[in-house]
Amino acid sequence: MKDKEIGFYELPFGPAHSGSGNFMVKLKVDGERVVEARADPGYLHRGFEKLMEYRTPLQNAVVADRVCILEPLSWDLVHAEAVDEIMGWDIPERAKYIRVILAEFTRIQSHLIWFSGGSMATGFQTGFMIGIGYRDYILEHIFEPVTGARVYPTGYIRPGGVRWDLPKDFDKKCYNVLKKIEKAVEDFDKLLFSNPVFKERTQGVGVLSKEDAIRLGATGPIIRASGIETDVRRDDPYEIYDELEFNIPVMDEGDAYSRFFIGRMEIVESMKIIRQAMERMPRGEYSLKVNPFMKMKKGESYARIEAARGEAAIYMVSTGDRKPYRVKIRGPSFLHLIPVLEFLLKDQQIADVPTIYWSMNTCPADMDR
Amino acid sequence: MVDMDKKVMARKMGRLIRSIWIFNWFNSCGVTELLPVVASIYDMERFGLIVVDNPKHADVLIVGGYQTEKSIKRVIRIYNQMPEPKAVMALGSCTITGGMYWDSYNTIKRLSDYIPVTIYVPGCPPRPEAVFQAVGMIFEHVNQLKKEVKGK
Amino acid sequence: MSWEEIIKDYNPTIQRERRIWVNIPKDKVYDILQNLKNEGFEHLSSLSVTDWIDEGKFEITYHLWSYKFKVLLTVKTKIDREEAKIKSIYPIYDRSAWIHEREMHELFGIEFIGNPDLSPLFLEDWNEKPPFRKDFDWREYVRSKYYNKENEREKAYWEVWLK
Repeated sequence: MKDKEIGFYELPFGPAHSGSGNFMVKLKVDGERVVEARADPGYLHRGFEKLMEYRTPLQNAVVADRVCILEPLSWDLVHAEAVDEIMGWDIPERAKYIRVILAEFTRIQSHLIWFSGGSMATGFQTGFMIGIGYRDYILEHIFEPVTGARVYPTGYIRPGGVRWDLPKDFDKKCYNVLKKIEKAVEDFDKLLFSNPVFKERTQGVGVLSKEDAIRLGATGPIIRASGIETDVRRDDPYEIYDELEFNIPVMDEGDAYSRFFIGRMEIVESMKIIRQAMERMPRGEYSLKVNPFMKMKKGESYARIEAARGEAAIYMVSTGDRKPYRVKIRGPSFLHLIPVLEFLLKDQQIADVPTIYWSMNTCPADMDR
Repeated sequence: MVDMDKKVMARKMGRLIRSIWIFNWFNSCGVTELLPVVASIYDMERFGLIVVDNPKHADVLIVGGYQTEKSIKRVIRIYNQMPEPKAVMALGSCTITGGMYWDSYNTIKRLSDYIPVTIYVPGCPPRPEAVFQAVGMIFEHVNQLKKEVKGK
Repeated sequence: MSWEEIIKDYNPTIQRERRIWVNIPKDKVYDILQNLKNEGFEHLSSLSVTDWIDEGKFEITYHLWSYKFKVLLTVKTKIDREEAKIKSIYPIYDRSAWIHEREMHELFGIEFIGNPDLSPLFLEDWNEKPPFRKDFDWREYVRSKYYNKENEREKAYWEVWLK
């Protein structure tokens, strides 16, 4: 009998690949077929949870947005929520609206990177150029005037509200950018989602069934593409999401194409949310007065939000000190990139590995933390 | 007298000036501001900069951000694989002093303790314009070297 | 048996809408999680460990979400610091529990009995104490590893910032 171990060899996918961050999957391959995949994370591990134990909540707001570079404002938001809940703060209405608008813009720009990566993974360079190009409108006309920086908002969404008010001409800029994003969706529809080559490369690839999605802890767009209608914004509403009207896109196929397509539909829903929030946004205070040297209340909180990649959560324990006693960060990619990816890559062709990898909406930084 | 090192250096670096081929060691923070550099907004190919997938083809190694204990080993390995002449461009404050992660137990604090760094680009993360300026400064530096060597 | 009945005996606290916390003794946790899973708490949102060094205990928290009831139930249990062992919930929550336990094993050094693979995840060649324990002197480790006392520029890390 032939020894089956002979003929396998190990192919490292990463850690240096022209994707996001450094992350390695060791693939055991038999010819073109992947027999076993094993994730090797840790290239970006900085120990955020411990760093936060040495800092006060206002300092942590700055640290928190470094958790994931591709969507810093979402992590700002979840950290602020966790502190707000421990302190029992009810933040001003206007701050809630600003937070929601920025969180949705973050989702849109993150999804645009996602499509760019997806088109690159399928060898479609034009899609990459277009996605990044459109994303720059958000960075330049929304994030930079509002938060002061293109990428890292340096704790713009902070416990107790936001750092400063929106600039005066924000409405104009916001609507202009939304028009551009509409254009981006059109472009992606034309170039990517109706492209027969892209369809061929993604449809029926990396299928994740409903049961497996729950079993492996998938969240966000990944689980919605497998036919489960769940969204933290709807099921566990925070800020003002319970007052807004939006749909939750769901698809049943569970393959790579449907995951990308969920992202496309989410951009449309996000634009709807931003439009509603812009119309209803009240005037008034934008933040509570927060003493930087305050002592936190004793208690614990578990804040969850729907980030672009799925469920982002922070578990925070406070003993009544100025600094939190323990912070646990739950990154969506931690589940998507290790158990889900390892499961999906099994028995796939090597050529499909980048497609599946990118269809997970990856961010190795929030996996390693 | 021009010292020999400078002459060798000028000859080596002189080859760099025509076009720079880049190997990206993306480390999270570098990626977001390098994407516009690569893609349509800033489009570095106008200046002859191309991203290559193999360190053996690369002239410049871009280290984009903090390095952990695990990733610095790979950086050194990649650096050793690159042929001469080579330059290292380190992006972000975290490669200079540790930046945000100055008290983190798993990140290195200064990149030049591990590999020779040609140019540091500060910022968290540096803007795309800063990356171009850094490339320009590498060019200038090479020209300067050439002039010095020729002049004497 | 509904999920409310399962945890009724352990005095659950309702923090706010959709947030319920409950403390359960160590030896009952496995069965209760099994029952809760069968009742609809299918999603293990997170698994965390808090190091209560003054008490000499580790507190393990399981954050469960139910797609059906839309409730986040946090099950907490305390184990001895000296004997940091607990039965793994890998048989209940499968791979999603496996990866959380593997992380907690590395960062806190807790033994999850029954978990098939607890190999190191983030750290390479780590010989010290598990780094997230409170008795691991994080700042001492950082300054002695990365900062030179003799160096004029780095003195301040020793004397002021990392004290």
